[in-house]
Amino acid sequence: MNSLQYAGAVLVIGFALASPEAEARPVSYPGGWTAMQLNNGDMSSIHIHYSPTFRDSIGLYSERNWGEDWHFTGVQYNRLVKRWNTPDSQANVYFKAAAGQVDPFGDGADVEAAGFIGIGADWETRRWFASYEGRAYDLGFTQDARQSARIGVAPYIGDYGDLHTWLMLQVENQPEADTPTTLTPLVRFFYDVQLLEIGYTPESEELMLNWIVRF
Amino acid sequence: MKLISIAAIAASLAITMPAALAEQAQVAEAAATQTMVTAKVNGMVCDFCARAVTKVFGKEDAVENVHVDLDNGEIHVTLKAGADLSDERVATLVKKSGYDLVSVERETA
Repeated sequence: MNSLQYAGAVLVIGFALASPEAEARPVSYPGGWTAMQLNNGDMSSIHIHYSPTFRDSIGLYSERNWGEDWHFTGVQYNRLVKRWNTPDSQANVYFKAAAGQVDPFGDGADVEAAGFIGIGADWETRRWFASYEGRAYDLGFTQDARQSARIGVAPYIGDYGDLHTWLMLQVENQPEADTPTTLTPLVRFFYDVQLLEIGYTPESEELMLNWIVRF
Repeated sequence: MKLISIAAIAASLAITMPAALAEQAQVAEAAATQTMVTAKVNGMVCDFCARAVTKVFGKEDAVENVHVDLDNGEIHVTLKAGADLSDERVATLVKKSGYDLVSVERETA
């Protein structure tokens, strides 16, 4: 596959697809660093990025996909495409892209060039939350795609500096997985610059554990 | 002659001292004056994301303290004594934090 075909395939698939990162805004304030560590039993990932502006971030992304047995490592760029600020809400649209290499069996052999693109969107008030993310991978030996969406409600409205709690429900679609569509109830906590999410997926009997810190 | 010199010096001091003292008083008053800037913004609904406000404003030399009021969508910035932060700079910092500025009010204590 030449580079033009590669880009075209990724673009075509990309706007239909997805990732487990629907929970986190991929940009921060100018000069801010963010570390995200996500685990859902099917995959584990770490993403560390730096935001030179409030619209952009760039960093390293590494994902070990246990379900499909591959390991991607690359450089990821995130762009805030559009933001709507109102007195009671904020909504965002993001674009994401990464390029790097994939290790098909996570054993260091047969490493290939790989990448992904994705789109994300979120909307939230102090009480309600909704988000969507689609991501498409070209892994060289195969293509992969996922999409996920969330809705959430805050059981109480905390002040700035309080411990904040959200109850959320995530639906994820991963066509290549053994269980293509899953529902994951989860609880999100955040306090100061730390965010923690704990959830459970009954269909696959997997635990979700996500942690994000900004500094 | 000595008396004349002493009288001249005394007269000179009598003229210049009040002016110098008044100038010193003005400087001291300015230094003691503290301004609180209240920026009303749109989009500030999330505590985790609003951390950007304290980071961005906190980097300014003029800023002593930053308080975020999520209920009213306001950023309260206490300036260091005698320091200033222009409306244009406030607008820039709000934009850098990811929000839209609605209005700026100032209160001097």
